[in-house]
Amino acid sequence: MMKKLLLITVIFAALILPGCKIGASDAASGKLRVGIVFDIGGKDDKSFNAAAWEGVKRAAQEFPIKLRDVEPGEPTSIEPSMRAFAERGYDLIIGVGFAQAPIMMQVAKDYPNIHFAIIDGAIEAPNVASLLFKEQEGSFLVGYIAGKTTKSDRIGFVGGMDIPLIHKFETGYEEGAKYANPKIQVFQNYVGINDSAWNNPGKGKELAKAQIERGADIIFQAAGNSGLGVFDAAEETNKLAIGVDANQNWVKPGFILTSMMKRIDVAVYNTVRDLVAGKFVGGVHMNGLENDGVGYALDNYNRPLLPQTVLDDVERVKKEIIAGKIKVTDAMAK
Amino acid sequence: MKDSSPSNSPSPFLPFSLSPLRELLFPLIAVVAAFLVGGIIVWMVGDSPLLVYELFFSSVFGSLDGIGYTLFYATPLIFTGLAVAVAFKCGLLNIGAEGQLTMAAFATAWVGLTLPHTNPYLVTLLAMMAAVVVGGLWSGIPGVLKAKFGAHEVITTIMMNFIAVGIVTYLTQYYYKRQGDPILETLPIAELKDGALVGPHLPRMHALLAPLGINFPERLPLNIAFLLALLMCVLVYVFLWKTKWGYELRAVGISGTAAEYGGISITRNIILAMLISGGLAGMVGINEVLGYRYRYYDGFSASYGFTGIAVALLGRNHPVGVFFAALLFGALNRSSLFIDIFTDNVSKDWVVILQAIIILFVACEAVFRGGAKRLLGGKV
Repeated sequence: MMKKLLLITVIFAALILPGCKIGASDAASGKLRVGIVFDIGGKDDKSFNAAAWEGVKRAAQEFPIKLRDVEPGEPTSIEPSMRAFAERGYDLIIGVGFAQAPIMMQVAKDYPNIHFAIIDGAIEAPNVASLLFKEQEGSFLVGYIAGKTTKSDRIGFVGGMDIPLIHKFETGYEEGAKYANPKIQVFQNYVGINDSAWNNPGKGKELAKAQIERGADIIFQAAGNSGLGVFDAAEETNKLAIGVDANQNWVKPGFILTSMMKRIDVAVYNTVRDLVAGKFVGGVHMNGLENDGVGYALDNYNRPLLPQTVLDDVERVKKEIIAGKIKVTDAMAK
Repeated sequence: MKDSSPSNSPSPFLPFSLSPLRELLFPLIAVVAAFLVGGIIVWMVGDSPLLVYELFFSSVFGSLDGIGYTLFYATPLIFTGLAVAVAFKCGLLNIGAEGQLTMAAFATAWVGLTLPHTNPYLVTLLAMMAAVVVGGLWSGIPGVLKAKFGAHEVITTIMMNFIAVGIVTYLTQYYYKRQGDPILETLPIAELKDGALVGPHLPRMHALLAPLGINFPERLPLNIAFLLALLMCVLVYVFLWKTKWGYELRAVGISGTAAEYGGISITRNIILAMLISGGLAGMVGINEVLGYRYRYYDGFSASYGFTGIAVALLGRNHPVGVFFAALLFGALNRSSLFIDIFTDNVSKDWVVILQAIIILFVACEAVFRGGAKRLLGGKV
């Protein structure tokens, strides 16, 4: 029996030892270390988190940084994730999503020598860069496109969580649609009131189908993972959907009219670039149409859906917004 | 008649009794074996098992943060572990601790929000009592349903989890939230004013250890509720094994009909066990609301109620065992994100796998006992 035990031990050791590289610690490399904490949706949501992931990955390819990421999965894991990076002395910690703002406020206070960046949250601390976006401006443009494209004069909006941040998308969209087509009717629904609203494609699809039954032929979604259900509904009923945050035109080619791009990737990339150059600045970093922080997506997937006249119009509207001639309501500023 | 040693009572899983040392031996073997199997899994996904072990130990023992967080994560698991254990001693499986602690946490915050803060100490005390009472009542309902109508507590407790979450989410969303707050949480019961926390709350370990000259970082949420958890371990032990009521409760658990023949009321003891069980689970609310976030927060519980079942199982439904099992699970919880982040392929679910393996090993203990007996020549 002892022989057997010995044999098992030897086999086990033989299995394990080759895989070992002890001391392969991140600190040894001398590179700047960047950690990113994703939102509940996770980095494969093809949207919000995916855009942030895109940005840091590009930065990691171009600059000599050590990049680590974490998908907390549930709300209770966000704070420990952020603190894990802080405890190990990371140089920059990026939080994706407003839900992390109150947590980051606390962690940034506990670790004043570490740089932080938060997407969609405003934190007043010298070591935190708050990356904010004028979602209403981008939404106005896609609303304008929808208003010019609809045949039924009815369009829809499906939001994720019923919160002021998503109301910014909705009001901008509605204003843009009405600007293009004053007699248009806009339906709106929200998936839910808590975190799970971002992760419920089934409910997203249901809401979209209900709107389509009421006559909507274009639906704009700002619902994270739940928005993928909206795309499904559009495909099944041969209607159009509008993507959000990242360029989602490729997700269902032919069924996605355009995407309201929130260039989280650019904002995140710039933050890392500034850190590497030693030019990290805390405070609010506002991204709007004027610095291409938001916009609408145009590529080979959706070009057949958009006539040149509409594109010319929307470019004109864009210039007028930047010039301040068209005022878009910021639903959060009220 | 009255037995005083925990080991004299037959384990619910085994038809024979074991000495305390041997009681410890099998859970210990289960843990070590789980770590070895876990190592193989790490190796299979292409990371170094030694790196993972190193991350586990350095994140748990490597700093005051590690120790502080491990104990903080263990605190709710001690409560829920004890809750499950007490019910189990009466032959009941309370899988509704999750709902009980959710209701209790909201009740704690509700007291803090509703009562005027003229005397924060009194409000703190009342909020603590609210946690225990509401947790107890929420589990008392299935207790009564079981005792009076024979409704199986596994069904009723788990169904009441959903009801609890529904009620609390509704109340938070429509009545107790700050207007426009994107996060589903109540208003705070205590807030920082000029660097000091004003309002009902429990002091953190930092404040407690500072007079002793120990510099425990203030950022660590470990608070007095941990000491309360230790106290509960002692009280549950005394109650179950040193009092008449505990004896009756256990008698019902071992054999209801025999106990009834001896003049013990099954109905009364089932309800009592569920009340105590729910009250213990409710204490999670004290740790969370009064000691950590100072508000009710949707999704605050990382399945404490369900992990409590595993803790009780590994701890053999004994307060001492529950304490150590909760520490282990707290340590696993603490290390899970470090292992996730600082390895290339291993995710935090590795810890969940480890927990599952531990439970598996504990559950098939009889098989191991047979093997061990052969190996050591029948000495175990």
